[in-house]
Amino acid sequence: MTIVSGRADTGERLLERDDVLAALSGAYAEARAGTGRLVLVSGESGVGKTSVVRAFLAGVSRSSRVLAGGCDPLFTPRPLGPFADLASGAGERLRELLLRDSTPSEVFEEVREELSSGSNVLVLEDLHWADEASLDVIRLLGRRIEGIPALVLATYRDDELERTHPLRVVLGELGAFAGAESVRIEPLSAEAVARLAEGYDLDPYELYRLTSGNPFYVREVLDAGGEAIPETVRSAVLARTARLSDEAVSVAESVSVAPPNLDAWTLGRVCGDAADSLDECISGGVLVSTDGGLAFRHELARLAVEESLSPTRRLELHRRVLTALEDPPLGTPDLARLAHHADAAGDADAVLRYAPAAAERALSVGAFREAAAQFARALRFAGDQPPAERASFLERRSRACYLADDQVEAIEVMGEAIECWKDAGAGLSQARALAELNWYLNCRGLHTLSQEAIAEASELVADHPKSREAASVYSTQANMRRLEGDLEGCIRLARAAAEIAEQTGDTRTAAEALVTLGVAELSRDKHIGREILERTIADCRASGEVTEAARALNYLGIIGVFRYDHELANTHLPAALEHCNAHNLDLWRINALAFTARSQLDQGRWAEAAESARLLLEDPRESPWPHHEALVVLALVRGRRGDPGAREALREAREVGVSPEEHYAIVALAAAEAELAWLEGNPQEIDRVTAPVLASAVSRGASDEATRLTYWRQLAALETSADDHFSGPYAAGAAGDWREDAARWELRACPYETALALSQTGDVEALMQALEISRELGARPLAARIGRGLRELGANGVPRGPRPSTRENPARLTARELEVLTLVSDGLRNAEIADRLVVSRRTVDHHVSAILRKLDARTRGEAVAAATELGVLEDR
Amino acid sequence: MDTYVILRRSGWKDGAELGEAAARSTAEGERMPDDIAWIRSYVLEERDGRVGTVCIYQASSPEAIRRHAGEAVLPVDEIVKVVDTVFVRPDPVPTTA
Repeated sequence: MTIVSGRADTGERLLERDDVLAALSGAYAEARAGTGRLVLVSGESGVGKTSVVRAFLAGVSRSSRVLAGGCDPLFTPRPLGPFADLASGAGERLRELLLRDSTPSEVFEEVREELSSGSNVLVLEDLHWADEASLDVIRLLGRRIEGIPALVLATYRDDELERTHPLRVVLGELGAFAGAESVRIEPLSAEAVARLAEGYDLDPYELYRLTSGNPFYVREVLDAGGEAIPETVRSAVLARTARLSDEAVSVAESVSVAPPNLDAWTLGRVCGDAADSLDECISGGVLVSTDGGLAFRHELARLAVEESLSPTRRLELHRRVLTALEDPPLGTPDLARLAHHADAAGDADAVLRYAPAAAERALSVGAFREAAAQFARALRFAGDQPPAERASFLERRSRACYLADDQVEAIEVMGEAIECWKDAGAGLSQARALAELNWYLNCRGLHTLSQEAIAEASELVADHPKSREAASVYSTQANMRRLEGDLEGCIRLARAAAEIAEQTGDTRTAAEALVTLGVAELSRDKHIGREILERTIADCRASGEVTEAARALNYLGIIGVFRYDHELANTHLPAALEHCNAHNLDLWRINALAFTARSQLDQGRWAEAAESARLLLEDPRESPWPHHEALVVLALVRGRRGDPGAREALREAREVGVSPEEHYAIVALAAAEAELAWLEGNPQEIDRVTAPVLASAVSRGASDEATRLTYWRQLAALETSADDHFSGPYAAGAAGDWREDAARWELRACPYETALALSQTGDVEALMQALEISRELGARPLAARIGRGLRELGANGVPRGPRPSTRENPARLTARELEVLTLVSDGLRNAEIADRLVVSRRTVDHHVSAILRKLDARTRGEAVAAATELGVLEDR
Repeated sequence: MDTYVILRRSGWKDGAELGEAAARSTAEGERMPDDIAWIRSYVLEERDGRVGTVCIYQASSPEAIRRHAGEAVLPVDEIVKVVDTVFVRPDPVPTTA
């Protein structure tokens, strides 16, 4: 549907739309006051979304500017189509930006600039047809809308959104932003339909029953003016066109094959003299004149007419539209539209001319899904093309699929591309495709296949060691060596790859190799690696290699998580998330989110860990490992807190189905299952879940992983491996040296693991310390176990069961902080408190500032008053 | 949404304090209607002279219950999931003592 930009009051009365209009006016008032709002207006097709928006616009202030853009029902939409529409009413800069293939973040910045100039209303219609790049711009708008003094109205049909529809992802995300809200337009009630039918000779109840209160359908029936009610919307629409002359019907038919609209010049070329009957179409209420040309009043009407065409007539019309559009009197033709008509006209030459070009344009603006669809279109018509031509389409389609988060299809299509390159005898191209395939396979944890691919690629470039293709093979090999733990080999290959890539002008591969090099260095030496990566990130940002920058930021965080270097993780994971958000790099974003959840769990920040996991799990993107990791983290938070649902989360994690070669995930799952079993006091279960995974780790020589599983077997007093070559973070615990284990976890600042190790020492003092830590964490099951242990050791003064200090008190003060606060309320100074509690003066200073922060108090007096009010301090 | 029992033992000094907590709980609950629905609570006379509660909630997850408790400043001792209800008779009408 196209909205007439500006404020045209249609004069039609709108029934039962007052609530929706009030919501829009409220959001408009807030936007005018400086806090931007994004309102999503949804409803079924024909329910009157555009009418409501139009009625609202009729009431907005004259000083507000209205910008409007719509998405088209082409099989493969125009990238950034709605923004191209609105550019005609906006500034010069936005128009220029759209002419030269800008990225969604550049377009967003310009739209923001455009909207910041004052009170603006931006209307984006029919988002269910939006291309991926436009959706990316809208996501950025939603994220930042509160800082933009504008109202953004976006409409979409909610009756056609299947589960995997790209708009769903965006809607899910927008729902979380404070500045966004949704309103749904419901069909009319029976009373409203009856009111509309007043004065017509129709049974209002029958009208309501057939139309289900759909206003478009009702209007079509009433305007048809017959005595019987047509059984479908389509027959209602066709009843209206049936009254037109043959020439006018021919005009309507021509417009019906060319959504969103057809300009008068093209219409003349397509219809010839019949174009003179245009006025009849308009006065007959079939077509309307819009900014872009002639259009149907409603998409339902267009569809009804288009579907009524015979196959030969449709083909004929598409041919004529194609010919006319190819040669416009001014401007350049839109490639996506040309590809659409070429396809529908069955013109193979034209498809091969326009679809790949449209795909490249879509790729360059970040509309990956549309690019993949355009390449698929080209491939459908490329049966007679030489293998090299098809291989090139396949390779580019695979890359687009991968970028659009369809890894399964990307792998499949790249396999076909490789076969085609082979048929074409193009060994170097085949090697390049194999190197690319290797990354996709690794993404899915298919390591054996990825090794085979790179081995083949390596042979193919053997005779051309200085070629561009060789650089991408070396770069891939470098990454494989790193994954295998051969850091020397990795660094050597990465250096070679970067050098050749730079010489051959392949900046992407050069950046890729440098990031791999930096990650390998980081695994050896934090400072050197960090320096290399930070420099590479700056270079990547400058040269626009945003994906490699995302990869580098991710790895800085990931290595931080693997090494329990919280500073590294806490610095770079948020930076990675921000970078990925800004550039809509979703795969790297959810990867960073998974590691964020794990890191928060390790740091004892459970509420945040659960929140990160929840955010990730709500993301409908199909990417197994991050979802698996989020579920494992969620299970551990629940299990450690003693909350229900831990087992269910692990069951779901198993159902995610990560590749059996995804060893990190398989071990993490087994360790989590063992941990829950330990909390339940079930050693047989620990044996059952660890034994097979342990055997596999031992046979692979994965010592750290074997150690991590042995740790749980040691806790359950199960048989552990005879040779005790334990390694990695769990080594001391696996060997049963719990004092050493506790000391190491404390050094790594992992409170839960520290408490767990302390609880195994058999020492009353250590157990008391473990009890305090676990209570502060809210680790109820562990605290209960420790309490039992202490009683068994005959310790005095161990409270039985819960008491107030074991719970999170209102201000979330720890037991120690409460103790300090009590002394503060007694009027003691920090030095005196330090003496009383036999701790250092600095420790007390630290506790007091934590208390002030938690109670939001500026002075000690305020803190005492606040604590008394909250009931934290007992009345004494 | 699943049903949960939430234990908040000895959470408040007296009924007045609990009343304030109940108001906060309602207000926060209204801010997250998709995640939390407070069904009812039983107020407990605790041995230490304070009052506690057993609350019946519907919630999207245990984390939602903890988030709500954090926002409304309510203690949480234990969350247990309800898998079935044996309904015998309605709660007795409270009598004012």
